[in-house]
Amino acid sequence: MQRRDFFKTSIVASAAILGTNLNAGITHQPKIGQIVSNMAFPEKRPMITYSDRPPLLESTRATFVRGITENDEFFVRWHLPDIPTHIDLDSYTIKINGLVEKELNITLKELKSDYEQVEVTSVLQCGGNSRSAFTPITGGIQWGSGAMGCAKWKGVRLSDLLNRAGLKKNAHWIGFNGLEKAAYFETPNFVRELELTELDDHVIIAYEMNGEDLPYLNGFPLRLVVPGYYSDSWVKMLSNITVTDKYKHLFFMDMAYRVPDNATESETPDHLAKKTKPITHMNVKSVIAYPETGMKIYHNSHIVVRGVAFDDGHGIRKVMISVDNGKTWKEALLKQENGRYAFTEFRFVFKPTEYGKVSIMAKAVNRLGEEQPLAKNVPWNHGGYMYNGIDVVTVEVV
Amino acid sequence: MKKLLLIAILTVGSLFAQVKSDVEVPYISYQIKMGKGFDAVQANCLMCHSFGYIINQGPQSRLFWDKKVDKMITHFKAPISKEDKVIVVNYLFKHYGNGKLK
Ligand code: HEC
Repeated sequence: MQRRDFFKTSIVASAAILGTNLNAGITHQPKIGQIVSNMAFPEKRPMITYSDRPPLLESTRATFVRGITENDEFFVRWHLPDIPTHIDLDSYTIKINGLVEKELNITLKELKSDYEQVEVTSVLQCGGNSRSAFTPITGGIQWGSGAMGCAKWKGVRLSDLLNRAGLKKNAHWIGFNGLEKAAYFETPNFVRELELTELDDHVIIAYEMNGEDLPYLNGFPLRLVVPGYYSDSWVKMLSNITVTDKYKHLFFMDMAYRVPDNATESETPDHLAKKTKPITHMNVKSVIAYPETGMKIYHNSHIVVRGVAFDDGHGIRKVMISVDNGKTWKEALLKQENGRYAFTEFRFVFKPTEYGKVSIMAKAVNRLGEEQPLAKNVPWNHGGYMYNGIDVVTVEVV
Repeated sequence: MKKLLLIAILTVGSLFAQVKSDVEVPYISYQIKMGKGFDAVQANCLMCHSFGYIINQGPQSRLFWDKKVDKMITHFKAPISKEDKVIVVNYLFKHYGNGKLK
C-alpha cells in the first residue's frame, strides 16, 4: 500500500467536503495535557492511564526527547480484559499448526537456542495514536500522541520458524493468536491474520525489549514484531500461529483497524465509506517532545527543540521546522543510528527574539518524498486511524 | 498500592522475576457519578472493561451513547436486554452527555 499521493489528494478532497457538507469531519492537533496517574502498573512508572481492565497506558510527550523508549515508559494497549497473570516459563510453548508439514510446539528454551537470534530496532505505534485529533469523536481510546514508542527487539525470525515447520503449497494466510481473552465467552477473541506475502525476514518473534525480558504488559513472554506496521499486528503473549489457505472472517480483522478504501482514505460522519481496508504500513509522522504547549521560554535564550520522526521503514530524509506559522522552514539536525525502522531523533536550535506566543511546527519528510500534511488536511475517518498531521506546539516567550 | 510497590522493587534487574509470582494489575477507583440507572450500568457494562473505558469518550450526544451500546451488543455480543439498554443510555446521557440529541 503506497501513500505517495496522500497529501496532494487529501487537500483537494477535504476542501471539497468542507464546501458541500456541513457535517464533515474536522481534524486538528491531538489533545495535550493528559494527567499522569499516581498509580504505577507492574514494571511501569506512573503513566497517562485510561483504563485498568484492559490496561491502557500512554507515554507523555517528554518521553520522545529520546530515540529509544524506556521499557517502563512504553505505552500499553490491550483489547480484552482477561490477561494471564501467571506464565509458567518451563511449559510455555508457541504452537505452529495448520497447513504445515510438521506441527511444532516450541518452548522458550528451544526458541532461544535452536534458532538464529536476531535484533531489530523498530517503532511500535497504535493505529489510533493521536485519535483525539478527530472531530466528531471517533470510536476508541482518545489517545494523545503517546501511543507509540521505539525499542530494540530481540528474538527469532518468523520465517525460520515457518521454514522449520514447512509450509504446504496452499499456505496463504497466517493467523496469530495471543493469550488475552474476552471476559464474556461470545465476545470475539483478538486474532490477527496477515498474508504470507506481507511477511518478510524483518518480522520476528521477540522475547527481549531493550536488552530485558519483555515487560509483562508489553506482551511477555513473546510478541510478534512487524517493523513498519501499526501495532494491531504485533500480537502480544503470542501462543499460536496457524497457517491457512483462506482468510477467516474475524471481528478484529473485519471491523476494527480499518480505513476507507478510496483514493483519499477519507469519509464523512454522515457518509461512511462502504469499502474499507485494514491499516498496515505507518505513514510519515513526527512529534515534538520539547518544548511543550503552554510552557514559557525566555527571550533570547538558547532553546533546543527536540523530538522524533519515523515512517514505515523507508527512512526519514529530513525534518523541517517552522517558527513563523509555516511561512519558512529550516532543516533540523538528525540523529539516525538505529536503522530505518527506528525513531529518527531531531534537534533544532531556536533563539526566540520576539515576545509573546510562538508556534513551533515540525514536518517530517521520508525518502520517498512523502511529507506530513497540516492537521486540517488529514482525512477524517470513523475509526480515528493514521493521524499524522504536522505537529504544532505553542509556547510563550517572556 | 503497598503490595504493588513491593512487586515493582523485586523485579528490578532480575530476569523473569515478574512472572515467578502472579502479576497484579492494580484496580483504579474511578469517580463514577451516582444516579438513577447506575445499577444497570454496573450490571451490563463493567463485565468486559472498566468504567474508564466508557468515560474516556468524554461528554457525548444521546445518539452517540445509543449507538455505542448497540455496538457492544452486535459486535461484542454483550447480553443486554432492550429495557436495560434504555436505562443505560439514559444514565450515560444524563451524566456523560453533551446535551445534544444527535
Ligand atoms: C461483552 C463484552 C462487553 C460488554 C458487556 C460491554 N462492552 Fe464496551 N467494549 C467491549 C469491547 C471488546 C470493546 C473494544 C475493545 C477494543 O477494541 O480494544 C469495548 C469498547 C467500549 C468503548 C470504547 C469505544 C469503542 O467504540 O471501542 C465504550 C465507550 C464502551 N465499550 C461502552 C460500553 C457500555 C456503555 C457498555 C454497557 C452498555 C459496554 N461497553 C458493555 C466489550 C463489551
